Amino acid sequence: MTAEEIRAHLDPIRDQFAEERSLVLPALKFAQGEKGHLTGDDVTEVAAATNLTPAYVESIASFYDRIYLDPVGKRVVSVCVSLSCMLNGSDELLEHLCSREGVSHEGGTSADGEITVQEAQCLGACDRAPCLQVDAEETMGPVTLSEADAVADRLRAEPQPRPVLR
Amino acid sequence: MPQLNSVYRHRAADRVLTTVDTYRLSGGYLALEKALGEMTADELLYVFHRSGLRGRGGAGFPMGRKASFLPKDAQLAKYLVCNADESEPGTFKDREIMELNPHQLIEGMVLAGYAIGAERGYIYIRGEYEYQAQILDAAIEAARESGYLGSDIAGSKVDFDLTLYRGAGAYICGEETGLLESLEGKRGQPRLKPPFPAVKGLWASPTLLNNVETLAALPPIVENGPDWYAGMGTEKSPGTKVFSISGHVTKPGNYEVVLGDTTLRELIFDMAGGLREGRSFKACWVGGSSVPVLAEQHLDTPLDYESLQEAGTFLGSGGCIVMDDSGCIVRASLRLASFYRHESCGKCTPCREGTGWMENVLQRMVDGEGRMEDFELMEALFGRIGGKCLCALADGAVAPISSAIRLFRKDFVRVVSEGSPLPQPMSPQLEMSGGRANA
Amino acid sequence: MPDYAPVDLTGTDLVEFELNGRTVKAPAGTMLVDACAANGVEVPIFCYEPRLGDPLGACRQCLVSVEGIPGLTTACSTPVAAEMMVDTVSEEVREAQDGILELLLENHPLDCPVCDKGGECPLQDRTFRFGPGESRMVEPKRHFPKPLKLSPQIALDRERCISCYRCVRFSQDVSEDGNLTMSERGGRSEITTFTGDSYNGRFTGNVIDLCPVGALTSIPYRFTSRPWDIQNTPSVCASCSVGCNTELTLREGEIKRVQGRDEPNWQVEEGWLCNVGRWGYGADQAPQRLRQPILRDGGETRECSLEEAVAAAGLVLAHEAHTTVLLGGDVTVEEAFIAKELAAGPLPDAQVGSAGVVGAALGPLRALPAAQLGDIDGADLVVVVGGDPANQHPVAELRLRKARRAGARIVLVGPRAQELESLGESIRTAPGNLAEGLTSAVAQIATVKRPLVVWDELDLDAEPDAAVVLATALGDNAAASQLELTSEVNGAGLRALGVAPHSRLVDQDLGGVLAVRANPGAGPGGDAWNRALDSGGPIVVIASHHSELTERATVVIPCSSHFEHEGVLVTAGQRAQRLRPGAAGPEQSAPGWEILIALSHRLGVALEYRSPRSAFAAATASAPALSGLDYDTLGDLGAEIATSPASDVNGAGAPRAHDGEGLPLVTGRSVFGGPEAHLSEGLVVTATGEEAVLHPAEAARLNVADANLITLNSPNGECTVRLRLDPGAPEGAVFAVRGVPGGTVESLLAPDRAPVNVTVNTA
Ligand SMILES: Cc1cc2nc3c(=O)[nH]c(=O)nc-3n(C[C@H](O)[C@H](O)[C@H](O)COP(=O)(O)O)c2cc1C
Ligand code: SF4
Ligand code: FES
Repeated sequence: MTAEEIRAHLDPIRDQFAEERSLVLPALKFAQGEKGHLTGDDVTEVAAATNLTPAYVESIASFYDRIYLDPVGKRVVSVCVSLSCMLNGSDELLEHLCSREGVSHEGGTSADGEITVQEAQCLGACDRAPCLQVDAEETMGPVTLSEADAVADRLRAEPQPRPVLR
Repeated sequence: MPQLNSVYRHRAADRVLTTVDTYRLSGGYLALEKALGEMTADELLYVFHRSGLRGRGGAGFPMGRKASFLPKDAQLAKYLVCNADESEPGTFKDREIMELNPHQLIEGMVLAGYAIGAERGYIYIRGEYEYQAQILDAAIEAARESGYLGSDIAGSKVDFDLTLYRGAGAYICGEETGLLESLEGKRGQPRLKPPFPAVKGLWASPTLLNNVETLAALPPIVENGPDWYAGMGTEKSPGTKVFSISGHVTKPGNYEVVLGDTTLRELIFDMAGGLREGRSFKACWVGGSSVPVLAEQHLDTPLDYESLQEAGTFLGSGGCIVMDDSGCIVRASLRLASFYRHESCGKCTPCREGTGWMENVLQRMVDGEGRMEDFELMEALFGRIGGKCLCALADGAVAPISSAIRLFRKDFVRVVSEGSPLPQPMSPQLEMSGGRANA
Repeated sequence: MPDYAPVDLTGTDLVEFELNGRTVKAPAGTMLVDACAANGVEVPIFCYEPRLGDPLGACRQCLVSVEGIPGLTTACSTPVAAEMMVDTVSEEVREAQDGILELLLENHPLDCPVCDKGGECPLQDRTFRFGPGESRMVEPKRHFPKPLKLSPQIALDRERCISCYRCVRFSQDVSEDGNLTMSERGGRSEITTFTGDSYNGRFTGNVIDLCPVGALTSIPYRFTSRPWDIQNTPSVCASCSVGCNTELTLREGEIKRVQGRDEPNWQVEEGWLCNVGRWGYGADQAPQRLRQPILRDGGETRECSLEEAVAAAGLVLAHEAHTTVLLGGDVTVEEAFIAKELAAGPLPDAQVGSAGVVGAALGPLRALPAAQLGDIDGADLVVVVGGDPANQHPVAELRLRKARRAGARIVLVGPRAQELESLGESIRTAPGNLAEGLTSAVAQIATVKRPLVVWDELDLDAEPDAAVVLATALGDNAAASQLELTSEVNGAGLRALGVAPHSRLVDQDLGGVLAVRANPGAGPGGDAWNRALDSGGPIVVIASHHSELTERATVVIPCSSHFEHEGVLVTAGQRAQRLRPGAAGPEQSAPGWEILIALSHRLGVALEYRSPRSAFAAATASAPALSGLDYDTLGDLGAEIATSPASDVNGAGAPRAHDGEGLPLVTGRSVFGGPEAHLSEGLVVTATGEEAVLHPAEAARLNVADANLITLNSPNGECTVRLRLDPGAPEGAVFAVRGVPGGTVESLLAPDRAPVNVTVNTA
């Protein structure tokens, strides 16, 4: 993602903020949309597009759980492990997904690079505990172990273009 | 079963009100037309004030009073910010409003914006609510097209527009000043207060910041008059409140109650379907995960600010998490501690260091390596963290854990003295029901 | 570092408040920590640093109780109000403060015995005085492989970091480079730079002083000393004419470290130093340091003793019919004064000159009210005329940034690409057009309340008409003031003593030469100087380092560096400040003043100053601008000298004509490429070189390419440098960095720096 492209994306919302700095999060999310994570070069481009230093941009990026500075799979599956979900079996759900995807029990990316499984804090879907979320957009629950398998299979079968986040 | 007075239109209509038309059909945008056409900003402020509406984000501060703190004569721009970061474990009421009834929030924001003299409002929505953000995006666009946002709203000469700003996964950005920092493009770390946002908020301008549920309550208040709203509930807790209930109940979901009319027992057992067969009640965090835990003996507490406070807890965000006797209070406490350690922003010492330390001790207990002197250590930690920090996250981390050790000391002592790792409790939902996506 | 902000308890705006049961006073609005400190009560702090802007309130170490505020409150962020009741010693407060300390130590390695900060560490100090004993944590502490090289000069031990944010705030909010940040969140937070980058900048070293624990340490200083075997001496940096106040750390007579002072000079550097001021001391230990007197007799060169060298110097100079004394721009007032006395008596028919420019038209500007660097803070408009403060007078940059943050408008006008352009309005002028370029700035000066003009001596010397325009504009606003950034470290001192620039001597028969810290062959008009020196008589050099001149001198006498002797420099803002004897210096060296006195004895007319102090007393008696000053009044912080009386405006009619063909040449020195930067071990990696800069369009016209070597020719000489293209550079001119050791840009200039044109060709 080049600074030019990022700037073009930001231009329509630029005047909604009193300071340019506010654009850093929209810029990071946009730049991340392409690969699902940001490389050092992406950070530099975001910095150029927002008139900030790369160090500053990286410091912002690393503050947020949903900005990824390390590679992730094509789809990210977040399993909520907060209290309501835990009371309804999120730990087994996470463990099941991790072992099926062959990643460590805290999560990681499957060997084929398709799916990243990660722990998430409360997703605001406690009424559907245990719940999981695909990328930031599709939240589902309650999810049984076999349904989790089905979700993973589906994600593999129909690889979607990564959504561009605003 | 108490009688239900719905403030939130989608509840009364039992319908999804995401388009301008459906919303208008159920009476939407009338309040806006009335207020912008017939009332001065000060009159409107007074309506908010009279209604007694208290902030629904957690602290329960009277909304009208907070709005009146904004300097009237300031030359600086004023801003309205809606806190839609909803990341408190157990809380999902704002999600429902944004998902099913976004225009009521938008209308509420136009009203609040007009009352304080703001021309721009921001909705800061947590990054994980992308689905809801897209609904809001569309609703904002539609409202703009219908003349309810933008310049000269409904022919009233009032200008007000909205920007939806997406977070990216940080609970602390729900804290009002952490949110403002994040919105300014900084790390979402809370600021020292004073100055409060009302005086020096977004870009150092006077800023009114309210929760989704708070702002969405404004249209019916304007429409039906403040006395209608104040007439519901108790003197100190007027109106209705949406409780999100989850955990070990059979009908988890959002339930709107008139404050003071319903007890915790009624919420859990009547509205939320009660516990599973053969289970008994163990504990409940009634106002989100940041409040002291309650036990069996508290079940008859009426759901209102003052009664819950008397019972030793807070109404908080109204995210009620219920645990039956299959759950383990030590594990539950550990899970909460892990959450706060994960979410501490790291700015102040007690929170950064203390949340991790609390987690370590609880982890030790769960692993069967607890020591009796850990109780003293935990007490010391509570004292070192509680009331010592810049924002309330750390207090919220201490409250459920210190209360758990106090209320359920026997359980903790048993775990520590038995010295073997705790078995995983069983998980009821997993094999029970089918999954479904996004409502 | 200054823990607390200075509080003026003598003003009229004081309010009374109660502190631990005692009624005390402080100006309303002062932060409680500062008000307490001013009243003798120390509230412990870590994150608070008055120079970093608004308090952060992050470490929570300063919790105290204030009646009416529920719970405890941070004293660093609570302003004093009348009748406030403050308790800093109650059981509750003590318990809270101890609690914070325990939490800070929870993950701290407690490795004081091997930590460079050990013995001078606020965290260790507090732990020792109030701290809990053993940590009650049983889990392993946070561990990092250590240490990390944050930059060639700065090491980071992450496990010692207490996340006080001081370093980060310095980078973000003071130097505004934005390169040092906090990454991650919560307990995982770390101080860091952009992945893979080094923390480079002009001022990075200040984070070492700011760090209240041993997390950030100086790589050149690491493991060289322990706090119990060092002494600290206040002194002044002589790397540029800002004259930052420093603290020298000495061990066994050797200089080990330079730091900002604990009690900073708020009128000058505010406790900040640039990296050359901090690490340039290494130049004293470089191989280029002169350690042995040298005699050259015919073809023979031999080392000798100090006594023998002085005797030989006396002998060769006494035999000359006439003599010339050449002074460097950084000689102390005492050295210059004694040299003048030598020239007036003992030396045969002598004349004296120093590095520097005549500045014929600068008198009226200099006669206007002189500002100190500290005054930049309160200005509402700062006009920077000429120069490039960021590189030539580094710490001035920090004051300009601070003023901008406080809302001052900054206007930069001058002929060269400015490092600080982004600070405000920037007007680039073609050489010769400075006066015209000042038009808008002049209009603004007339309309604001507190305008301040920071001006560069060299650029205004080249365009005297601009100096007149400025002087007139400033003269019309009674609240205006001016701050000269002199090209020579002690330029103002030399002027106060009436020493004229030596450029007027180059065409004359020099006779015997006595050069004191001078090396004109490496300066403007170097070729002309070398011809003059070649055809003159014997050369006696008093110098601290080897140079082209010491290579050709008859007698070389090693003298002390500015870290090693006592004396006065008159720095920016006409501020007389004291150098203090710190390091011992090579055995076979002596302070310059002492060598000059010894020389007078050899010349048969003994000058009777027994110390720099007495020489300074005599100097002040003879120089009206210095009158009334002595070492005691100068004290640790120095004092302003009298403003020079207005003088006639000579030659002020027009910009000075450019000599030669081709494009006008604009030059500038950079402290970061100067001798200290190149000779000091700690700085060589970051030292910048000589270069020429052209606008790409200009380069295309001239058919020269980026990064290639080019040859510049002027009527005065030739030089070969590497070219850099910069779209920010002015078209129609060549810019070249001068003053780099071994460089030849200076040779293009005329000895009096009369403007020149140069032709440009690929080398
Ligand atoms: C750690 C922390 C997280 C919070 N998260 C939220 C949140 O997600 N949503 C919210 O509305 N308020 C949250 N709050 C409360 C806000 O700081 C603030 O009080 C509230 O948004 C004000 O709105 P109200 O007056 O309408 O309740 C949080 C507070 C803290 C200390
Ligand atoms: S490195 Fe030092 S100055 Fe920087 S945050 Fe850590 S303790 Fe503070
Ligand atoms: S010194 Fe006051 S909070 Fe750090």
